[in-house]
Formats: sequence, structure tokens, C-alpha cells
Amino acid sequence: MSYIGKSIKRHDGVQKVTGRAEYVSDIKLNGMLHAKILTSPHAHAKIVNINTEKAKALPGVRTVLTGQEENTLVGIYMVDRSALASGKVRHWGEAVAAVAADTEEIAEQAVKLIEVEYEVLPIVFDVKEAIKPGAPQIHENAEEYDYIKGVFHPEPGRNIANRTKVRRGDVEAAFARADVVIERTYEQPQVFHLPLEPHGSIVQWGVDDNVKIYSSTQSPFAVRDLFAHGFGLPRNKVEVIAPYVGGGFGVKSGIHMEPLVGMLSKRCGGRPVKFIPTREEECTTLPARQGMVSRIKTGATKDGKIIAEEAEYLWVGGAYADYGVNISRAGAMTGCGPYDIENVKVDSVTVYTNHVFGTAYRGFGHPEVFHGIERQRDLLAKELGMCPVELRLKNLLMPGRKTITGELITENTGRVDKCLKLVSDKLKVGEGYTSQQLAEMKKTGKYRGKAATVLQKSPAMPTSSASSAIIHMNEDGTVHINVGGVDFGQGTYTVLQQIAAERLRIPIEKISVAPGVNTDMSPYDWQTVASRMTVLCGEAVCIACDDVTRQLLEMGAIALRASKHDLALEDEHVYVKQNPHQRVHYSKICMGYTYENGNAIGGPIIGRGKYIAQGLSFICPETGQGKTALDWTYGAHAVEVEVDTNTGDIEVLQMASCLDVGRVMNEAMLKGQVVGGVLQGLGTALSEVVRYDDKGRPLTRNLTDYKIPTFKDMPGNLDVSYVETPQLDGPYGARGVGEHPLISITAVIANALANATGVEMFDLPLSADKVRAALRQAK
Amino acid sequence: MYTFLSPKTLEDARGFLKSYPNLKIIAGGTDLIIGLREGLFAPDAVMDIKQIPELAQIKQTDEGLEIGAAVTVSELLCSGHLSGAYNALKEAGLELANSLLRNRATLAGNICNASPGGDMLSASLVLDAWVETVTPEGGRKISLSDFFTGPKKHVLKPDEMVIKTVYPKHQGKSAYRKKKRIRGHDLAQVGVSGLLKGDGVLTLAFGACGPTPVLIGGFNTKTQSRAEILDAAMNGISPIGDVRASKEHRQEMARYLTEAVLDALEEVRK
Amino acid sequence: MKAINLTVNGEAHKVFCPENITLLTLLREYLHLTGAKVGCAAGECGACTVIYNGKPVNSCMVLAMEAEGAVVETIEGEAKDGKVSPLQQAFIDNHALQCGFCTPGMIMSARALLDENPKPSRDDIIHAMEGNLCRCTGYEPIITAIEQAAGGVR
Repeated sequence: MSYIGKSIKRHDGVQKVTGRAEYVSDIKLNGMLHAKILTSPHAHAKIVNINTEKAKALPGVRTVLTGQEENTLVGIYMVDRSALASGKVRHWGEAVAAVAADTEEIAEQAVKLIEVEYEVLPIVFDVKEAIKPGAPQIHENAEEYDYIKGVFHPEPGRNIANRTKVRRGDVEAAFARADVVIERTYEQPQVFHLPLEPHGSIVQWGVDDNVKIYSSTQSPFAVRDLFAHGFGLPRNKVEVIAPYVGGGFGVKSGIHMEPLVGMLSKRCGGRPVKFIPTREEECTTLPARQGMVSRIKTGATKDGKIIAEEAEYLWVGGAYADYGVNISRAGAMTGCGPYDIENVKVDSVTVYTNHVFGTAYRGFGHPEVFHGIERQRDLLAKELGMCPVELRLKNLLMPGRKTITGELITENTGRVDKCLKLVSDKLKVGEGYTSQQLAEMKKTGKYRGKAATVLQKSPAMPTSSASSAIIHMNEDGTVHINVGGVDFGQGTYTVLQQIAAERLRIPIEKISVAPGVNTDMSPYDWQTVASRMTVLCGEAVCIACDDVTRQLLEMGAIALRASKHDLALEDEHVYVKQNPHQRVHYSKICMGYTYENGNAIGGPIIGRGKYIAQGLSFICPETGQGKTALDWTYGAHAVEVEVDTNTGDIEVLQMASCLDVGRVMNEAMLKGQVVGGVLQGLGTALSEVVRYDDKGRPLTRNLTDYKIPTFKDMPGNLDVSYVETPQLDGPYGARGVGEHPLISITAVIANALANATGVEMFDLPLSADKVRAALRQAK
Repeated sequence: MYTFLSPKTLEDARGFLKSYPNLKIIAGGTDLIIGLREGLFAPDAVMDIKQIPELAQIKQTDEGLEIGAAVTVSELLCSGHLSGAYNALKEAGLELANSLLRNRATLAGNICNASPGGDMLSASLVLDAWVETVTPEGGRKISLSDFFTGPKKHVLKPDEMVIKTVYPKHQGKSAYRKKKRIRGHDLAQVGVSGLLKGDGVLTLAFGACGPTPVLIGGFNTKTQSRAEILDAAMNGISPIGDVRASKEHRQEMARYLTEAVLDALEEVRK
Repeated sequence: MKAINLTVNGEAHKVFCPENITLLTLLREYLHLTGAKVGCAAGECGACTVIYNGKPVNSCMVLAMEAEGAVVETIEGEAKDGKVSPLQQAFIDNHALQCGFCTPGMIMSARALLDENPKPSRDDIIHAMEGNLCRCTGYEPIITAIEQAAGGVR
């Protein structure tokens, strides 16, 4: 194969390096107004009164809107969030009122003139307290919210938006016969996604309810669907355009500010209204990754076989659980990691709190679950005096065995054991240091340690999640691919180009992917999330190519006076297999074929492909048993750290990461996902934390107070490798991989810290001050 | 909305100081522009001092090293003047923000912003620096040890402007050490500067260890043990916990960095 | 509104704008040069980096009025005669970009570095680029791209 696996360069490189790539914030429309929002200064409060008179009187103000006047509930999974706070605010930073004005400056002045009277309510910040009977309720009318019945299981009156259960075997009996039982609690704070581009949107709600939305979104079709649903509009009246999108990492999935901006536009006679959140609003009005408190109890025999695991995952859902309910569901499905455990009990619960609300973040709950699970494995190994790599190998899921939700693992599912062996061999995890090295460590106070962790993830999505693709041939035989998924940096479109070049036997430079998505013109795609694009959209492109191929052969048969059976494609030509010199260039047949006398036949060739996940099922509400995974991508990380016990600083000396990707489609881009994902994970492990004061006010509202890794925070050498166990239903055997590099990073660092210093840390981040505190305590 | 002023001479600047009582000065702008955006200041006028030639100068004079109020941290670092006893200033400059911001941020701006953790502040304190100011009517010299009164607060009057910072000549060696949350650009959790003179007299200063940068002088390495010096210094600081570090971590790191500064200084004395 | 004269990418401009806007706003909203991006408006992310009188700066940290007589280079001036520059090509060749939002700022910082130091070491690059944040790439390919550009067109 000539294109699959090659490090083909990005399709949009030139646009991006020249600054020509146009993001939402770069778009200006005629008559455009600018919006600003007033946000809540309380984490939980009743809105007693809002006075907008002064704001309305300011010249240049075109409309002022409060949630009391006009509103809609929006949400993709749990429809619990209104476009503007209505009746009460549930987190600091929640939008309470909005202004559209001629300029940003006027809008900002007007916002300051809005007077809001609040009655402060007690805040709920601790998930363990929130679920207790009698705790203040954040959503009094939770039972009225719309959600997918049978998939999510809210418990109104307990601040619980969803509980997903997994039950397998008999955990109590197994714990009773276990030789060792380890039980630990892990706390992980919220973290920010921090794409460099904020959630901009421009909405024009015109006459006769024709709505046009420009949005920095991963989910143009979901925005269309949810916007139309929220306002009772037909889908064909709502056009959503996702131009270039400056990163997302999950925070731009679902729907965000579009309904609010739409209402403003409607009130301004259909003038387009633009809203670009400030970085501070990104950090307080728009969502974060959920925090989590997990309690995990693991039982094993003395030879290291895990026989029981019980996990309670309490997700800090924040004020709204729109996406959070599905993250707790996904977390339950993966609740014990890629291990073969007969007796399992998992409860995964999204809890309403007065934090900024949570949403999807690269890894979709898996990084949080794996932090505890992969810490447990090292703790168990330590307790049993075993090598942690050996302990894992003894318990990993192998072909012929079943996952905790009853899915059968086959030879083609992927091999987590190979990934683990590869990375731990590379870094010699499990091998100690020489006495000379140990003496040097003692002298300097800088202790080195190693660890390895495994990971898995499958896409968490509705069983009916679908993708589609349309391929147009142009007059000269060049090709345009049109899909509804978004390439917001991950490189999907380049991989789609490679698939089409490979299948249609056309040089890749002759294949373009239409940049950006327009729901009026692009074929449907559910959402660009869940590491699902290469697999689902890739399959759709394969099928669309096959449709084009069929048409090319039909036209070739006419032009070459040959039976289709005798024809094949190569080098932009249809040729006769037994007489390869007898051939016709695509350009002669792709718009129809013209005979010598002028008669014409055929017409433009347009290929169509669609794909839907096959065989996924709903799960049993009581036991969690069912088939939810389209594909499991497995992987492993190994690391060597140096802990400066004087300062608490952890330096990552070297790392090795390996993923069973099924098939490497584009090696450079794949490496880009791994290197970028690992550093993002190191941020979560070492420095990133959303902090609040005791009144629920966020303290980390900008990049001064919230630090993400910089050029100076890169790890030492990072070795990236792959295992290729082909996925039978993936294009060319490929699996999804976008999110996976970030999973199990926090645990591998914490395990290596323990290996280096003997100090066991359970909570995140492993910032220097917390490491020092733990070292102090250990003394 | 404010009026933007760009005086070409010091005299014009003094005139503006008089005619605009609610005036803000922009040198590098890296703190001012954020303050303007966040509405922390609402001045009637913003006066750019970078067009005044003498404020852009760095000079060695009999008094010492004079650095004009419009000199950026980058210019200072590239000037070649920060050798010898001025080393702490160089080390602090290299730790200030990042290379982009250093191309804008000024030494005088860092001082006048008076953040307790400002990188240039503790280094300037141990070097016994003073600022020279002008007002519409006159001007004065203010020792930095008398300059800071609280977080982001100082003794300057509303119509007073710093025109230069002066560092007297010292025989000896100085150093700056900083601890932050990440290895890249971050404000100091703790910053420690030290100046050790040839006669063994040691001065220390601490950033982010109190409401103002803290200067603790009068140590003598010839008569005092390292432990004595450390204990005395630690008694002089009062760090708090915030978003960057806990109180305990600041205390520990202040001690650790002081040791690192002493290591750097004593190496030279040998 | 006040008039300001400056040179951007070799072209002289006279712009009438309010006195309280930043150079970034002037470039984006008045000259319609949207290559420099608004990532934080606080000098923390580097997405708005331009070369200002020869030095790379956050254009959100410069008031437009300060730029009287200034010479400004933005990403829009980097490609010449319809061709991307060797530096831009090195970013493409080394997969030194993903979402692309930080890329204009990255390239301007790298441009300024290479103008001043045509053969930077890895440490020089890290030191010069520290003010530019990227959430996608993990930075490593950006360093490789700059190293390659410094080594000439391969």
C-alpha cells in the first residue's frame, strides 16, 4: 500500500502556518452586534430581582436579556441547563444576563449597569455530603428533566444525576476468601481543557426562523439538533458552520453558548450576534473536566490473582450534568481496567455540586478511573512483594476471557499485555538501581524510580452513533471528500485523504477534504468525539470510495468496451487487467463519457458512504452487562522519574508509551497525538488544578493562576511505539487513538514516585508542595 | 476612556503629571494593560514614558548603575552591565515571566507594580537600590527599603513618577533563586536574593514571603553559622498560603532557596 | 478616535482608532489582519505574538497608541511571493501544528529567534519559545521544525 501508514503532511498546513485559517473569532459579518454576559458572583443563590433598565438605556445597546424573560433548557444527555440562569444560580460564573450592542465596549459597559439582587444559598461542594439525605438540593425539579430513559438513572432528591452499576459474580464472598484486601480513596480535582481558542459563536436568527450559526464546535450536527430541539425548530431551518476550530479536547462537544447568542440575535431583528468568551469566562462560565472521589477495594490471592474489585466513583459533576451523566456511565463500563476479574461491583455516580459544571475531556472518564485502578495494582504488588509488571501480566484480559460487562475478548480485540511488556522492557521497570546509584540518590536527596501502567478505552457513544461521507469527482479526475466530522487538529481529514488515495488509486495531492463543516452541505456525523473518527468516518469514506469505484468501473466498461469483471483501477485510470495498455483516465469518464459521435452517457460521479456502529447494545440497568465497545484500544506507559525530596519536584527523566492501534495510518500524526496527549496528562499529574475558596469562588480563572505545561515542562526522552493487532471492522485494521495517550499518566507518575521515595500519594495533582507535605508526613 | 499622552521630554511629562491628577504611567505595560482590561484602574490619562530619551538609558556613574524607567528587562539583560555583584539582578531578570514579556516589561514597572513576589524586587533590595522620582515641582530619592508598603502598594504620590533605579557599587557576589509551580513561566512561590560582601556581611531578601518583599540584613558569615543565619532569616518572614503554594511549602522553600543562595555565594568566597 | 501611523509587513498605514485599544485589536479589527489570535489577552499564551520594532512581543500587551512610528511584522508577512517561508515549510514538514491556533504566534517567535540567532541550540529555542503555549503538540515537533529551519531547507 502506498499511502496507509505514511507520514503524510497535514491537509491544512499551509492555511494554518500563514494565518489564513479562519476561526470563528476571525469572522465579521455585516450588521454584526457583539454580546457580553453578566455572570454570577455566587456559587449558589436565588435570583431575587434583576434590573436591566439602566443597561437598556445605554446608547448602542440593542437588547438586554435575562433568563426570566426568555429561556430554553439545553443538553445532550441530561437536559438540565438553561441558556441563562433562571430563578437561581448554581455555580460562580454562570451567565445571568446578556447584552447585545453595537460594540464590545458598549456591551461591556451595559453589563456593568445590570443590577441583580441575590439571596445566597448554602453551597454543596463535597460529593460525599451532597448525596446524603437532607443535603441542600441543587436541582429542586430534577425529576422533570428530560433524559434517555433506561440509559441514565438519576436519583432526584439526592443530588444524583446518574448512577450506573456493574455487577458480576459475588464480591462479598470473594473478599471473604481473599488473602489480601487493599482499600483506598483517591481524590482528583477538576482540571481545564484549555484549548487555545475559546468557545466563540456567531448566531443569526433571521426572519421566518432561519437560523445560521458559526460555532467553534466539535459537534456541528449536535449543535443543530439540540438548538432546533430546544427552540422547537425544524432541523432544515438551522444551519451550523464549524470553520477551523482551535482545539477542543472534549470541551467543545455538545452545545454551549449558541442558544443564548441565538436568542439575542432573534431579539435584534435577526442581526448576527457574536460572542467570544474571555479566557476568564472560559474558566468559569464554560465547563471543566469533572473532579472525582473514588474508593476502590481490591481483593487478591497471595499469588497475585485479583479475585474481587469493588469501586465507587463519585464524580464531581458540578452545577449541571448534561454530559456528566454519560461520563459516569462510561467510567463504570471501564471501571476495573483491562483486567480479568470474576467478581466486580462498580457504582459510578454523577453528583451535582456547586462547582463549575463538568463535561467531556480527552479520555472521557478513563483518566480518572485509571488513576485509582492503576494505583491499586502497584499497591497490591507492594503488599504481596511482587513485581508490579508481573502482577499485571497475571491479571490482564486475554483472548477468550470476558470484560466486566460480559464482552468477549478475541484475538483481534488488541493486546494490552504486549504493550505493557514492550514499555516495561524498554525502561527496565522492576529492575532496581545499583548500590552506587542509591548512595548517590541518598547524598543528593534526588531519588529515581520507575513504574508502568496499562490503559484501555472504547468510544463512549450512543449505540446508533453514525458517520457518513460524500465523494465528488471533479472534471480533471481530482476528488473532494465531504464529511460532517470536524478536524480540530487531530488530523482526521489527512487520514481520510490517505484512505481515498489508497482506494481510488489517485495521488494524494489530488484529493481535498472540504475544510470546515456546514450542516446544510456536509453529510451527517454525530459528533467528533470518543476517538471515533478514524474508525467510523474512515469506514464511511471506504464505503464511499467503493461506491465511486463501482461507478468508475461501470463507466470504464463503456469507454473500454470491456466487462466490469475485467477492469481494475490504477494510477488514475481504469484499465483492462489482461491488457493494461488499454485504459481510460478518470477525467474522461467522471463527468460522463462522450462517444466519438457526441452521444454522452453517465454523469458526474458522486460516491456515498455511511457507517453505523455494529452490534452495540444497551446495558442491563442492574448489572451493566451488555456490549458497549465498538473497539478497545489498549496501551501502556512506563516512566522513570527523579524526585527531588528537598523541593518535592518530580522530573520525568524518560518515558515509553505504546498503544495497540490496530494499524498505523499516519505515523507522524499518530506520534503527534501521543506526544501531545502525554504532555497534557503530565499537566494533570503534576500541576493542573481548578481551585476554589470556601465560598465556592474559583481562584484559578486565568493562565496566570492555572498553569499548563510550557516548552520548559516537556518530559525527557519519550519513546513512542505501537502494536498492530488489526481491528476487523476498522479501516485497514485501525482503531481510535486520539484520547488514549492521556489515560493512566497520573497513575504511572504516582507509582514511580512511590517507587522512588516509598511515599504513597493518592490525590492529584502531585504538585511539589503536596509531595513535600507527604514526605514531611512520612518522616 | 482615557487620553493617551506621549511626552518627548521630562518637562512635558512633569506637566502632564500636574494637569492629569488621575494619570497612569505606561512603561512596559505588562501589568498596566491587564489592570485596564480588568477595570482595576480607570485613569483619565495614560502616559507613555518611552519617548523620553533619558529614561531609556543605562549608565555606569560614580553613584553606581543607573537604569532608566523605560528600560526593558531584555535590554537590561543584554546590556552587559549585570556582572559581578549585580548578578542577582541578572538571575532575577532571566526568571521574570518569559522571553516575550521581558521584551516589554521594565525594571521600574516591576518595582512600581510592587507585587510582593516581583522577581526584580528582592534582588534590588539586597543591592541597596533606590529610585529617583520627579513630581511637577521636584523629585526625590527613595531607598527601596522604604518604598514598599503592602501588596501592590508603595510610597509614591499620585503625581510622582520614577525616572530611574540606581544600584550602588558593591564588592562581592549576589544571587537570586526562585521556586515556582512549573518549570516554565510562573510567578514566584518564593524568591530569595542574597548579597555577600567581601567582608562577610550578608544581606538577604525574600519575595512572596509577606505583604511586601522582605529585606533582612546585618548577617555576618564570618561570625555566624549557616544554621544561625537561616533561623534568623526564617523568623523574619511571614508567608501565607494562596493559589500558588501552601504556607508550609513557602516556609520550607524559603529555607531551601536561602541555602541555595548561600551555596552560590560561598562558592565565590573560597 | 486618534490617528496612528505605523508600518505593518512593509506597508505604511494611518489608522483612526480609539485610544484605549491594544495593538492586537488594531491589527485584527482595524487592519483585518486576523493571523494574530486572542488566546488570553493577558500576555500568558503568546497566540498574539508579532515582531514589534524587531522584538517578539505579545501584541495584547502593547497599546495601539504606543505604536506610533512602529514597524510591525505579523504572520501575514511571513510568506513571500506566494510561497511559504522555509520556517513555515518546516512547521508543515515536521507536523509542528495541530489545531493551528497557536501557530501564527509560534512562527513569529521562531522568526524573531532565527533573525537574531540563526543557529540556535535546543536550549536557545526552548528559552525563546517559552512564552508561546500549545495544548496540542507537546512542543517537541515545534523544536524539531525550528532546528530544521535553522539548518536550511532540506
